[in-house]
Amino acid sequence: MTTQPPVRLNMANVTIGFNQEEPLIECVDLEIRAGEIVGLTGRSGIGKTTLLRTAAGLVRPLSGSVECCCTADTRAEKGAIGLIPQRLGLVQHQTVGYNVLMGALAEANLLQTALSLPSKKMREETRSVIEEVGLADKTMESVNRLSGGQQRRVAIARAMLQEPDLLLADECLGELDAETARGIIELFQHMAKDHNMAILIVDHNPVRAKTFCDRVYQLRGRRLIPFEEEQSSPALPVIGEASA
Amino acid sequence: MTNHLQITIWKLLDGWNNLQKLGSEAFPPDFTVLTERAGWTHPPCTFESDVLCSPAVVGMTQTLEIAFLSTVFGMLLSLPLAAMAASNLSPYWLSQSVRQLLAAMRVLPSLIWALIFVIVVGIGPLAGVLAMTMYTVGYLGKLQYEALEGVSKEPLEVARAMGLPRWQVARFFAIPEASNALISQALFMFEYNVRHGSVIGLVGAGGIGWYMNHYLSPFQLYDKVLALIIVMFVVVVIIDQISLSIRQRFMDGETHPQRARWRDIIPFFKIREVRN
Repeated sequence: MTTQPPVRLNMANVTIGFNQEEPLIECVDLEIRAGEIVGLTGRSGIGKTTLLRTAAGLVRPLSGSVECCCTADTRAEKGAIGLIPQRLGLVQHQTVGYNVLMGALAEANLLQTALSLPSKKMREETRSVIEEVGLADKTMESVNRLSGGQQRRVAIARAMLQEPDLLLADECLGELDAETARGIIELFQHMAKDHNMAILIVDHNPVRAKTFCDRVYQLRGRRLIPFEEEQSSPALPVIGEASA
Repeated sequence: MTNHLQITIWKLLDGWNNLQKLGSEAFPPDFTVLTERAGWTHPPCTFESDVLCSPAVVGMTQTLEIAFLSTVFGMLLSLPLAAMAASNLSPYWLSQSVRQLLAAMRVLPSLIWALIFVIVVGIGPLAGVLAMTMYTVGYLGKLQYEALEGVSKEPLEVARAMGLPRWQVARFFAIPEASNALISQALFMFEYNVRHGSVIGLVGAGGIGWYMNHYLSPFQLYDKVLALIIVMFVVVVIIDQISLSIRQRFMDGETHPQRARWRDIIPFFKIREVRN
């Protein structure tokens, strides 16, 4: 009998929103296991980001239970949840090295953080993930000077250094050309497979999400339902087609 | 109301006469304040050069030193307080309490703080530094917490999702994000402290104001006072220009992004970079 990978996110009968009378999403049942990539699609303003923020513990669910990384009710242990927001959440005017190093903060001890002195291991790991995402020559560059695709790589490198059990990525592929998007998708696949991360990724394009996610869900009429192609709105170009 | 305040045209005319008298005594300004050695400087001047020990140079140097030290000390104290006062970084009870504390520090102008510290530590630049530091903490703290509240919420959410404690969210995400605005505010505060550093000398807290007061009371040497005012004006204009050009460099960073020099300016916040 094969043992199943551990559950990293378990949302059971969760109601999400800011107002009890008018919730954004109801009856959310979602389970994500280590090594899985789960896609989330839906039209703008339907509540995808709020669902992600609820999973991250930044928004309290109106009802139901959210268990993150084996801990009940959203308070996961330090560094267990990684978040890449839609606008990436990079610290502006700081270097690529600084931003990526922030991923190691959860592991750093009090002395290291108080004195701002990362250990040799942290610095080596930072250098290695920056190389992995292909930005070795930009380490000392300010993130403001990078292109949109490069900035996404910085945010991903930060998440790779953090090595969370659960990574929540919001619209990481939006507005990218097909080739850059493919590069980012490969990084996500690498993180899920090699680092055994569970990844919940929001993507506007359900057809594209189908190509690299293990499962894809769609938010429709306040419900989270499995995505089926015939339900979708007119399909957006698939990466392969767009680049062809 | 003018009756109650005893504002009359005759008083204004009297004032005009006094102004004419003051003008005739003040002009031409006596610039020997820049060349004559003053044996009565406080603390005593030990340089051999007469110019370096003149009231204008000693007074202006003291004013600049007081302004610099009070800006640095004020900044170091106000930054953690501003992080505690920022509503996006602290719980409601803490941010409200610290805001009230900062407001209380701003209620008294630097002149009154100077009076208090002259009583506490005696006449001299120490009272000036303490007075200006107190006012700087109150004033700069308010500017800083407003800048911190204006930072993008996304980096803070990344840090919170990671489970970092509040002080790390402020130290590694909010403060660096707002660094350009914070540096610009510190430079503005330095300019402000140079201007106000002259006033606190009038109550004995050191700086060029102390030397002005020496000439005003009891000798009424208005020509020397005018020369000191002109020296101060020239120095303030030069500092304003330097500060403005440096501040523009940081403010331009919004449209022409460049790396913040935050860590270069305050070595305390230096973080070892990851070099290739």
